[in-house]
Amino acid sequence: MIGNLAIVLFDGLAFGMLLFVLSVGLSVTLGLMNFVNLAHGAFAMLGGYVTVLVTRELGLPFLWSLPAAFIVAALVSVGFERTLFRRLYRAGELNQVLFTIGLVFAASAAAAYVFGTAQQPIQLPQFLRGVTEFAGLRFGSYRIFLIIIALVITGLLVLGLEYTRFGAQIRAAVDNQRAAQGLGIDVDTVFAVTFALGSGLAGLGGALAIEMVGLDPSFGFHYLVYMMIVVSVGGLGSIAGSFVAASLLGIADVAGKYFVPDLGAFMIYLIMIAVLFLRPQGLFGKR
Amino acid sequence: MATENAQTPLLQLENVRAGYGEAVVLDGVSLSVPEGGSLAVLGRNGVGKTTLLLTIMGFVNLMQGTVRFAGRDISGAPPHKRARAGLGWVPQERDIFASLTVEENLTATARAGQGNAGRWDLSSVYDLFPRLKERRANMGNQLSGGEQQMLAIARTLMTNPSILILDEPLEGLAPIIVEELIAKIGAMAKDEGMALVLVEQHAEVALGLTDQAIVIERGVIAHAAGSAELLKDQATLDRYVGLNLEGE
Repeated sequence: MIGNLAIVLFDGLAFGMLLFVLSVGLSVTLGLMNFVNLAHGAFAMLGGYVTVLVTRELGLPFLWSLPAAFIVAALVSVGFERTLFRRLYRAGELNQVLFTIGLVFAASAAAAYVFGTAQQPIQLPQFLRGVTEFAGLRFGSYRIFLIIIALVITGLLVLGLEYTRFGAQIRAAVDNQRAAQGLGIDVDTVFAVTFALGSGLAGLGGALAIEMVGLDPSFGFHYLVYMMIVVSVGGLGSIAGSFVAASLLGIADVAGKYFVPDLGAFMIYLIMIAVLFLRPQGLFGKR
Repeated sequence: MATENAQTPLLQLENVRAGYGEAVVLDGVSLSVPEGGSLAVLGRNGVGKTTLLLTIMGFVNLMQGTVRFAGRDISGAPPHKRARAGLGWVPQERDIFASLTVEENLTATARAGQGNAGRWDLSSVYDLFPRLKERRANMGNQLSGGEQQMLAIARTLMTNPSILILDEPLEGLAPIIVEELIAKIGAMAKDEGMALVLVEQHAEVALGLTDQAIVIERGVIAHAAGSAELLKDQATLDRYVGLNLEGE
């Protein structure tokens, strides 16, 4: 029983870390830049298909495909940001929602056209397959890898945002766009880079997700729901909030399905409702 | 510290018409500030003084006329490029970045200046405002009004500007802080030759800190004179600036 509990917690944490990598960029663009980018899920899906192409068509190792997924998603997103999204910054949330959800439909159709509607399997390197035994328990090697990557990303994000000059400029631009411009910060560029980093992380999340949850053209819709829950439970714009919320929801999801199978799939919604009932601004939200 | 290069004004506005959307706030405004010069901008509330500064910084729709800085036409330049060129704007609301510490407020936008404008760094602004050094780890939203104003000025100095553009820096501050700020702004303008544009409700203070003055009335320059001369011209001050000469 204790062993089961440990494995459930571990699997839940791994799923939570996947949700964190998928969602944290959305939290940043939504919370810091006030742009409702539902296409975040489509950028995640793009990262997944980049990994499929890089490993299957180019025959490169899985680990090489991860930075490729990040970079392609970041570059494509900044193309969209420069040409389309920036026109919507002052257009109101409904317009942003309608436009970006339309992009998810388009991306889904494009993915189905190019790759078909089937699940896309990928080949993992030997050391990420199977299980690692520790204290008599068997932990999935890929899940350990996922947790380590998520922790590294968290560390880099916190360091980057809290302890670098660029991070201070992002926060300054968010606090007061006009004052930031008047003191010499190129706010457009700062926001474009931030947006690219957030979307790149979504792409990386999409690549990491294939082995755990699969990849098909509905990915952008399916995981958008999880992303929105993580962002709203964690609080907009908070990296720590996204981390805690993703861990909580991941563990609740796995534990719910394991211990209360009848309720399983609804567990995360119950948690979301409970948290937002008590703290409408989310766990770490400021407004 | 007057400069020899007096033929090219540092900041020059020619026949500027500016406003918000379709609404014209300033019409036909021309002015110039030489290097090391200082200009007081006087007038009642709502006559367009802040709009004038926002026009200089590029935040306002410029409908006609030109803004030149250091000989370059910057009429179409975005605000961040104007700031980087050396325009040191201190906004009226202070606009301290609330989620940055005092020290981050100073360093996030700091730039090395060109030539002799490169003197400001953390240690020199902390020498100027020792209070900020004590509060360096506080967040921007944990400061008193006076501290916020010191931080706003220091933050702009850290960009090593060649002109300081102050929008009512003394508004709403305790008298003892006002005294301190007047002394320090005066020292920068008079002793170090920092060029200055000062919007201020208290005409006596503004005229004491500057060598030229303009009075704005309903979007046009109604009067222009040397500051010392205008200080003695009680009739003009009464007419355009009203009660503010006596101070509060």
